[in-house]
Amino acid sequence: MEFVSPEGLRLDGRRPMEMRQIRGEIGAVAKADGSAFFEMGNTKVIAAVYGPREVENRSQQISDQALVRCEYTMANFSTGDRMRKPKGDRRSTEISLVIRQTMEACILTHLMPRSQIDIFVQVLQADGGTRSACINAATLALADAGIPMRDLVTSCSAGYLNSTPLLDLNYVEDSAGGPDVTVGILPKLDKVTLLQMDAKLPMDIFENVMQLAIEGCKAIANYIREVLLENTKQLEYRRGP
Amino acid sequence: MVSANVSGDLSSEMEVDAFRRLFPLRYHERFLLDSIRPDARPLGRARDTSLALGAVASADGSALAKIGCTTMLAAVKMEVMTPPKESPDEGSIAIEFYMPPICSPLVRPGRPAEEAPVVSKQLSDTILRHVNVVTSFSGMINLKELSLVSGKAAWMAYLDIYCLDADGSLFDAALLAAVAAFSHLRIPVVSLNEEGRVVVVSEENEEGKSEKEPVNKGKRKLTLSSLPFSLTCILHKNYILADPTAEEESIMETLVTVVLDSSGQLVSLYKPGGPVLAYASAVQDCIALTRQRVKELKSILNEAISDMEVD
Repeated sequence: MEFVSPEGLRLDGRRPMEMRQIRGEIGAVAKADGSAFFEMGNTKVIAAVYGPREVENRSQQISDQALVRCEYTMANFSTGDRMRKPKGDRRSTEISLVIRQTMEACILTHLMPRSQIDIFVQVLQADGGTRSACINAATLALADAGIPMRDLVTSCSAGYLNSTPLLDLNYVEDSAGGPDVTVGILPKLDKVTLLQMDAKLPMDIFENVMQLAIEGCKAIANYIREVLLENTKQLEYRRGP
Repeated sequence: MVSANVSGDLSSEMEVDAFRRLFPLRYHERFLLDSIRPDARPLGRARDTSLALGAVASADGSALAKIGCTTMLAAVKMEVMTPPKESPDEGSIAIEFYMPPICSPLVRPGRPAEEAPVVSKQLSDTILRHVNVVTSFSGMINLKELSLVSGKAAWMAYLDIYCLDADGSLFDAALLAAVAAFSHLRIPVVSLNEEGRVVVVSEENEEGKSEKEPVNKGKRKLTLSSLPFSLTCILHKNYILADPTAEEESIMETLVTVVLDSSGQLVSLYKPGGPVLAYASAVQDCIALTRQRVKELKSILNEAISDMEVD
């Protein structure tokens, strides 16, 4: 199957190095301490952050750090066919763990000992790249909650099909069987916190694909910074003179 | 705002927010004396309600309903199934209501919300029992419309409602979202494939498969009659507060939910105990408030539907 046409266009009309349309909004859930809605093309996720608050299970309390928990769930209608088990299945558990570890690395947990920070992510529509969209949404939500972080965490995926590195795969491209590299970085510090790949890829091509994903992450980071600045301006305006 | 208060007056010495957290009942009663609530609403008025149809592109029918801050996302997905022997001409509907942990600080993974199964059951009862009422067809949905091939194939409609933000009146918002999702529903086209099984025809295949006669024509809507709408009220002493927020629900616990259909007939009345015992007159007042609210909701739903049609 042809994923990149001879003219260089992908199935949805994008160029190989082009990312899907992204949109982020802060404050989607009024009840949460921090929340955000993030869209990457047709993948739509909502993240809500509750915390720092009292640890639910005393035995899990850490005396010098905050406990970070994360849960990733998909809505029944998020995929093409209705999902039977949106929560406890292996994929959801794995992604919950990945998001937790990624965010934990950048939250300054030592500033909030004996407390708990909950990050909940709900996928409303899935079209590839849900992991990345969730991490981006979680970053926005944590910023909205005012939780101290070392840096923003942004994430993007890239793949390699028809001998071309492709940025930001959608569901069709992802299920094509080619490699799928997901990268999460701290943009200002220029460090990689998440790197996952499945399938095989020669080392030199891997360098290219990973570099492409990192470029995508930096572009998302710029966008997220703009969203946060705009939000701060709004808050300042509402606060009045 | 220092007024004489019966028990030792701390209210003049502390900040409003602290007073609100420590003495919530007294805080709210101060407002009720002036027939108003903390968010400046008169007692009988509901919060701003908005509806957006077609929120989920991958579902056959969907709607996003917001009452104040309470947000519900409902989506209907249709699957083909074999109808049971007792009712070979009828399809069926399955309703599920979820409260994921994002919606409220009180819901934790591993500790699901208490209200979720209650609202789920209430919704099932209202929508499903309202489906076929003995002989006269006065229900919301006629299950016979969901039949494809008698005895062999019928539609199963899965309605999933997710609460994205829980701020009181969960049942009202969920019912509104469910009704809107069914109003938006377009039944997909199906045809019989070679093995005689009913298969959904996707739009790209239409030109190539001219031998396959579609079993139903075009994307049609369900005919819905008498849509149910509801209003939840709280009774406190002799006040009736319409459309409570989560804060009001937690301190004044007596709820009354009235469901009326669009022709003004009573579908259900629900008062699950609570510290306040109501006389029939209080219930009549709740029903009157609901009647007004039904008019508002009907016009909001019609506006949302006509916005969809314009697109």
